[in-house]
Amino acid sequence: MRRLALLLSLAALCLGLSPARAEKLIVALSAEEVRITSNFTGTSITVFGAIERDAATVSRAEFYDVVVAIKGPPETVVTRQKARFLGIWLNSASRTFVNIPSFYALNSSRPLSEVSTPQILKRFQIGADNLVFPVSADDGAETANADDEFRKAFVRLKQQDGLFRSEAYGVTFPGTEIFQTAMRIPANVPVGRYVVTVYLFRDGALLATDQSEIRIAKMGFEQFTFDLAHNQGLLYGVLCVILAIFTGWLAGVIFRKD
Amino acid sequence: MQIYLPIAELPVNMFIIFGMGGAVGFLSGLFGVGGGFLLTPLLIFSGIPPAVAVASTTAQVVASSASAAITFWRRRMIDMKLAGVLVASGVVGSSLGVGIFSLLRRWGQLDLVIAICYVTFLGLVGGLMLTESIRAMINARRGRPAPLRKPGQHNWAHGLPFKVRFQRSKLYISVIPIIAIGVGIGALGSLLGIGGGFILVPALIYLLRVPTNIVIGTSLIQMTGTMAVATVLQSTSNHTVDGVLALILMVGGVIGAQFGTRVGAFVRGDQLRAMLALLVLAVGARFFVDLVHTPAELFSLATLTGDTR
Repeated sequence: MRRLALLLSLAALCLGLSPARAEKLIVALSAEEVRITSNFTGTSITVFGAIERDAATVSRAEFYDVVVAIKGPPETVVTRQKARFLGIWLNSASRTFVNIPSFYALNSSRPLSEVSTPQILKRFQIGADNLVFPVSADDGAETANADDEFRKAFVRLKQQDGLFRSEAYGVTFPGTEIFQTAMRIPANVPVGRYVVTVYLFRDGALLATDQSEIRIAKMGFEQFTFDLAHNQGLLYGVLCVILAIFTGWLAGVIFRKD
Repeated sequence: MQIYLPIAELPVNMFIIFGMGGAVGFLSGLFGVGGGFLLTPLLIFSGIPPAVAVASTTAQVVASSASAAITFWRRRMIDMKLAGVLVASGVVGSSLGVGIFSLLRRWGQLDLVIAICYVTFLGLVGGLMLTESIRAMINARRGRPAPLRKPGQHNWAHGLPFKVRFQRSKLYISVIPIIAIGVGIGALGSLLGIGGGFILVPALIYLLRVPTNIVIGTSLIQMTGTMAVATVLQSTSNHTVDGVLALILMVGGVIGAQFGTRVGAFVRGDQLRAMLALLVLAVGARFFVDLVHTPAELFSLATLTGDTR
């Protein structure tokens, strides 16, 4: 009887502890808004956070792993492949990816393969290879797998432009429960809303996530010019022509040989 | 100094772009051409998206040709009636060109068509110009005078109906070839981001027999008008004119052109034409190599217009 009670209480204790949701993430960003002005050459956003444990959480020997991902606004991209036709290289086959993040940066405390299992990474779409790549309906297939040729090319080209980037060991721990990482934002980023997701792992298990947002927007003259060009194309065009004729006339006046 | 381009959406080194504008401006002043055919490839080569490069060069051509046109205007070396017909038909051609531009961009074949057009026209014009200038040089060395235009000389273009009198050019010719040339140059110009002066000038001289002293001023008016319309059309339909990029190019271009004109005055005409021909052929060859050479990267990305962002 006493042994049964002991077993039951032990089981209860185990059950009480087993949901590993006891850790909480507290995340702070160095900036919630990035302003693109005429001297913008890229910036860096520091993600700073603490892992908070409640009193009931037993201290564990293993270290925490933190993965920080920044996703840019979704875009539709056509990936084209060149083929030779009558001796000339021209775009032939293409695949249209819809709702693909225009920017994807991922910093982790260790390489992803050591942080967690491929199944978990795939389920939570962590890492460029684990993102879901929906394909436009005209192209037949619904999504492109990681070994798809067009998808590989897409990721490669995005990486070349610096718009898809990853840094293993990019997240550092100044204290055992405090982490920080600097996310590089290159100058050619598209504008829009960016989602910052922080994942907390231990022993390959996802313990907690946190999501926040940053806004990247053109400011002042850049914003004004962009808006004018896109909303008032006619006026913008006429202004450009007036500017051109004025510049030409001015040069004629300045350099006049009389 | 880095400056962020609002339409191209990337930062560029202002002095490099300024230098490009200046160098192309110098050559255009030296040879008396717009220089768009050099500037567009240079910009594409330096990482500016082709659509933005073509459209912004259009605005730059307006500035450089307007600047030169004003000089010719002061010297009264322009046939305004001929220029008027050319501009009017050029506007039609421009609209056509901008329409084709948008269509090709959607199909993903814009770069290909631009490259093929460059190879064809630069190769053709460069080749013709080179043979002509070499012949002139040989003639000059042997002491033979250059063949002059006889007043009664006619070709097939003079046998067409709808004849109109152009007093300033001392011509009485059909408007059909004039309109055809205007539409053709306008379409090509807005499609390729070039003024088309290097095609227009020979066409006016050899096809229509417009006197040489009138040709350049008249073609400058045609370029200013057509390219101005092309700039407006590119802004309204493709939104790809980058005002900041264009302004840097314009300032560099007009300054460079002034020095180019001064240097050009000390060089003989046939030698200038031979140099220009070689330059034109070199650019054409560059495009040809790109077309047939196996590219290092077979894939390319393009964002669809009308995106969420």
